[in-house]
Amino acid sequence: MSFSVQLLWLIPALPLAAAAIGALTPRGGRTLAAGAAIAAMLGSFVLSCLALRTALVDPSAHLTHNFTWFAFGSEALQLGWLLDPLTAFMCVMVTFVGSLIFIFSTGYMKEDANFTRFFCFLSLFAAAMLGILVANSLLLVFVSWELVGLASYLLIGFWFHKPEAAAAAKKAFITTRIGDLGFLLGLLWLYHATGSLLFYDNGAGVLEADTLSLLITETTLGGLAVSTAIGLLIFCGAIGKSGQFPLHVWLPDAMEGPTPVSALIHAATMVAAGVFLIARIYPLMSADLALPEAPVNALTIVTAIGAITALMGACIAVAQNDLKRVLAFSTVSQLGYMMLALGVGSWVAAIFHLLTHAFFKALLFLGAGSVIHAAHHEQDIRRLGGLAPKMKLTFATFAIGMMALAGVPFLFSGFWSKEAILHAAHAWPVSQLPLAFGLTAVVLTAFYMTRLVAEVFFGQPRSHAAEHAHESSATMTVPLVLLAVATIALSLLAWPTPWLAQKLDPLAHTEAAHGHGLMILSIALVGVGLGLGAWIYLRKPRTSADAADPLESAAPSAFDALARRLGFDELYAATFGRLFFALAKLADAFDRLVWGGVVRAVAALGRWIGVVNQEAEDNVLNAGFDSGSETLRTGGRAYSATQTGDAHGYLLTMAVAFVLLVLVLVIGGAR
Amino acid sequence: MMPNYSQLGLALLPELSLVFGALLVIGYDLAFGRKAALEDRCRASAALGSIAAVLASWHVMRFGFAGAVFGGVLTFDALALMTRLGVLLLALLTLATLPALRVQRNPAEYVAVLLFATTGFLVMAAAQQLLLVFVAIELASLSLYVLAGFDKTRPESAEAGLKYFLFGGMAAAFLLFGFSLLYGLTGSIELPKISAALQAGGNAPLLYVALAMIVVAFGFKAAAAPFHLWAPDVYQGAPPSSAALIASASKLAGVAVFARLFWHGLAGVGGTFAAPLDSPGWLTLLAILAGGSLLLGNLAALAQTSVRRLLAYSAIGHAGVMLIGVMVAGRSGVAPLFYYVLTYGLATVGAFGVIGVVERHTGRCDTLADLAGLHRRSPVLALCLLVYLLSLAGVPPLAGFFGKFSVFAGALQVGGMASSVGALTLLAIALSAVALYYYLLVLKAAWVSAPPPDSSRIVVRLDALPLVVAAGLLLVLGAFPHVVLRMFLIG
Repeated sequence: MSFSVQLLWLIPALPLAAAAIGALTPRGGRTLAAGAAIAAMLGSFVLSCLALRTALVDPSAHLTHNFTWFAFGSEALQLGWLLDPLTAFMCVMVTFVGSLIFIFSTGYMKEDANFTRFFCFLSLFAAAMLGILVANSLLLVFVSWELVGLASYLLIGFWFHKPEAAAAAKKAFITTRIGDLGFLLGLLWLYHATGSLLFYDNGAGVLEADTLSLLITETTLGGLAVSTAIGLLIFCGAIGKSGQFPLHVWLPDAMEGPTPVSALIHAATMVAAGVFLIARIYPLMSADLALPEAPVNALTIVTAIGAITALMGACIAVAQNDLKRVLAFSTVSQLGYMMLALGVGSWVAAIFHLLTHAFFKALLFLGAGSVIHAAHHEQDIRRLGGLAPKMKLTFATFAIGMMALAGVPFLFSGFWSKEAILHAAHAWPVSQLPLAFGLTAVVLTAFYMTRLVAEVFFGQPRSHAAEHAHESSATMTVPLVLLAVATIALSLLAWPTPWLAQKLDPLAHTEAAHGHGLMILSIALVGVGLGLGAWIYLRKPRTSADAADPLESAAPSAFDALARRLGFDELYAATFGRLFFALAKLADAFDRLVWGGVVRAVAALGRWIGVVNQEAEDNVLNAGFDSGSETLRTGGRAYSATQTGDAHGYLLTMAVAFVLLVLVLVIGGAR
Repeated sequence: MMPNYSQLGLALLPELSLVFGALLVIGYDLAFGRKAALEDRCRASAALGSIAAVLASWHVMRFGFAGAVFGGVLTFDALALMTRLGVLLLALLTLATLPALRVQRNPAEYVAVLLFATTGFLVMAAAQQLLLVFVAIELASLSLYVLAGFDKTRPESAEAGLKYFLFGGMAAAFLLFGFSLLYGLTGSIELPKISAALQAGGNAPLLYVALAMIVVAFGFKAAAAPFHLWAPDVYQGAPPSSAALIASASKLAGVAVFARLFWHGLAGVGGTFAAPLDSPGWLTLLAILAGGSLLLGNLAALAQTSVRRLLAYSAIGHAGVMLIGVMVAGRSGVAPLFYYVLTYGLATVGAFGVIGVVERHTGRCDTLADLAGLHRRSPVLALCLLVYLLSLAGVPPLAGFFGKFSVFAGALQVGGMASSVGALTLLAIALSAVALYYYLLVLKAAWVSAPPPDSSRIVVRLDALPLVVAAGLLLVLGAFPHVVLRMFLIG
C-alpha cells in the first residue's frame, strides 16, 4: 500500500483528535481518554511506517504537498507537508517510543486523580511534535514548536501543587522562549529575504539551490552572509529547545514532571526537536561553506556549542545524586554530541544518534520510573541500593540502556552512533578540538553510568522504601523489554552495512573506510570509564545514605561545584534575573505614571462622549418620541402631534447632515 | 440585444424558491396550523423556510458565475454569487434559531416576511441597474419594517418598527431623488453606461447633490453616523431575530449593492485618497461618515448598560470599518470587505440568538446584569457568546481578526499611511482596543459575575445547534480564511 503525501497531516491529526477527546472527557472516563490516546498513537505509528515505505522508494526525493493558507493583497502565505526519509524515520521513532511511553503511563499514573488530563496533554504534545516533523513550512514548524513548548509547560507543571514543579515549568517555558525569540527573528528575516517559508517548492523553496545562492551573496553586519545570520538566529531556537549551553538550565529542573513526561520530553521528542530542526534546514546552515572568505561559518558555532555542552553535561552528571537528574545531564551531554555531529558536517550521524538515543534514553527513563514507582517516589540514589535481585527485569533492561549510553561495543546501537559522530569529528578539517572534547566525554559517560547503576542496583538497600521495593506491573515492564530489544536491534541500521546513512543521504559520497585506530581508542576509553567506575563504586559499595561520595572526599571543592551545576542558576539569577526585575519595576512605574494617565484621560473623554450622546438622544431626539409612544401605550388612539414633531426632528438631523455633505463637495470642488 | 428570458428564469430561481417557500409556509399554516400549538407552528414554519433557503442556495451555486444577464440588468460575478450565498447562510441561521426564541403570535407570517426580505437581499446582491437596485432595496426594507414591529405585544417593538420606517422612508426618498438626478445627468439607469457618461462629462453641481443623496441612503442602510439614529432603538426594541437580520444579512446585501454602485457606476467621481478635499467625490463623503462612525460608535458603546444598545453602537463602529472597506474595494478587491461583513454578520446573528434564548427563558434580556453568571446557567450559550464577541472584537484566531486584518491591510496597501484612508485605518486600529473593552464588559458579566440568586439553569437542547454552528464557522473561517477568499480569485 502506498502512502500519499497529501494524507501526511493525518499523522499529527490523530493524536490531536485524541487530545480533544481527552479534554472533553470527564474525570471518570479514564479508559476512554487513555484508550483514545494510545489508539491514536498506534494509528499514527502504522501511518508512519507506511510513509517510511513510500519515502524509501526514492530516498533522494522530497515529496511535498503545498497549499495556500490565506492571501492578502499580492502576498500568499503557503503551508505544506513534506515527506522524505528524514521525516519518515523521525515519525516512526516518535510514534513508536510515544506509544510505549503512553502504555507505560497507564501503569505509572494509575493513582493520579487527573489521569484524563494527563493523557490529553500527552496527546497534545505528541501531535505538536509530529507537526514539526511533517511540516514543509518554517512557519508551520514554528507554530508546532510553540505548541510543543506549551504542552511541555503543562506537563512539567502537571503536579502544579508542588512549588518546585510549578517553578520548573515556568523556568522551562521562559528559558526556551528566549531561544524562540531568535528563531522568530530568523523566520521573519528569512521571509523578508526570500518571500517564502516553504522548505521545498519546486525550486522556489528556501532550502533549494536558487534561494540559497541568493542568500549567501548578500552580506550583513560584520561581513556575515545573510544565510549565516539567519541560520544562527534559528539555531538560537534549537539551543533553547535542545538544552544546549548556555540555555541548558531548564532541562534538569524539568525532572519535576512525572517520569513518563521526562522520558517523552528528554528522550524521544522535545529535546530532539532542535537537532531535527538543524538537520532539516541543513542546506541553509551549510550554505556559507561555499563562500571562500566567510568570517565565521554557522556550523562552526554549532560545533563549538555542541562540544562545550557534551563535555559540560558529562562533568556535571558525575556529581548528581538524583536518579533522574543524572539522566537529565546525560541527555544534555548527548544532545551536545548530536549538535557536534551537525556542526562537523555529518547530519546523518546526528540523526542516527538521535534515533538510537531516543530509544535507550526512553528505556533508561522508564527504567528509572519503574524504580521510582517501586520505591515510593524515592529518587535519591544514596537512599536506594540493592535493587538488582528485587527487580530483575528492570535491572536487566536498565543495564542494556546503560551499556548503550556508555558505548559498550558492537552489541549496542549507542556504540555505532557514537562511533559515527567521533569519526565525523575526526574528519573535520577545521580543528581536532571537538574530537578531544568528545573523547573526554566518552570516559565520563561510561564512568557516571557505572556509578549510577552501582548505587541504585548494588550494595545494601539504604532506606525503608528500597528494602520493600518489588517489580513493577506488566504495563510498565513490557514497554521496557520492547525498548531494550529495539536498543539492541537498532545496531542493524549501521552494521553490517551503513543502511541508514545510505537512505538518509543517498547522494553523499560513500564514507572512507573506518579508521580502526579511532575505534580502538574509543573502545579503550569506554573500558577506562567502566573500570574506574567499577573500581570506585562496586569494590566498596556505599553502606549508608549519609556517607560521603568517594569523589567528594577526594576533591571536595570540585565535586561541590559540579553538584551545584557549576552555578549557572545562581549566575543567571544574579545577572539576568536582577536586570529584568529592575526593568520590570521601571516599566511598571512608567505604566502607572505616564501611560496610565493617558489611558485615564482617553477613558474620561470616551465616557463623556457617551454620556453626551446618550443625553442628546434620550432628551432631545427621543423625548418627543417616548412621550408619543407613551400616548400609544395608554390611549392607543391615533398618532398624535408629538410624533409629527418627532419626525421633524429626524428629518432635521438627516437634512442638516445632507446639506453639510453637499457643502463639503461644493466647497472642495470650487477650490 | 434580445432579452434572454430562459437565462433570466434560471438566474432568478433562488428568488423564486424563496417566494414560493414563503407562500407555502403561509398556506401550510392556514391548512394545518389552526389547531396546532403555537410552538409547533413556529417549528414547522421555520423548517419550511429553512428548506426554501437551502434550495435557494443550491440554485445559486448551480447557476454559478454567469456575468451579465438579461442585457446587463443583473450581473453574476464573484461579489454577487458570494453575497447571495452569504445572505442565504445568515438568513438560514436566523430562521433556524427561531424555535429557540420567544414564539411570535403569527409565526408563519413572520417566516414569510423574513423570506421576502431575503428575496430583496438576493436581488440587491446582483442588481446592476438603478431601478432594480431601488426596487430591491425597497422590497427588503419594507419587509424589515414589518419584522422590526412584529411583536405587537411589546410597545418597544412597535416603537422600533415605526422609527425604522420613518427613517427608512426618508432614506428611500433621498435615494430615489439621487437616482433621478443621476439619470437626468447621464441619460441612463445602467451602471456601465452611467460610468461612461460620467467619464465624458465634468463635475456638475447637481452631481454633488446626487452623490450626497446616495451617500445619505447608504449611511442609513449601513447605520453609519450621522444617519445611525435609528439603530440603537431598533436593535433594542425589535424582536431579537429581526434585529439579527437587520444587522447581518441586510448589511451584507447593502454593502454589496452600494460597493457595486460606487465602483461600477460612479468610479470616475470618487475623488482621491491623498487629498480628499482638493478633488472631492463620494470617497470624501464616505471618509467623513467612516471617521464619525468609528468615533461615535465605539465611544458611545462604552457608556451603555443595555446589551442590545451596546451591540447597536458597536455595529455603528463596525460600519466605519465597512465604509473603509468600500472605499478601497475598487483597488484592493471586494474580497476583504465581503469577508469582514460576512463574519461580522455571523457573530451578530449568534449574539442576538443568545440574547433571544436568554430572553425566552428569563423573560427579559436587556441589561448586562441579565446576562450575569451565564456560564453557570448555560455553559454552551456562554461559550458561544464568548466566541461571537471575541470575533467581533477581532481577537485571533477567530474570523473577525482576519476580517479586520485583511480590510486594514488592503486599505494601507492602497492608500499608504499618509492618505485619508490610511489615517482612518490607524484610527480604526486604535479604536479596536476600545472596542475590546466594551465587549469584555459583556463577557465579564457572562463569565465572572455570579448568577442572580433567583435564576435557574437554561436548558438548551438541539435548538441551540445553529448557535453552535455559527460559533464553529467563526473558528473555521478564522483558521482557514482562504476558503472564502479563494472564491474571489476564481470569479
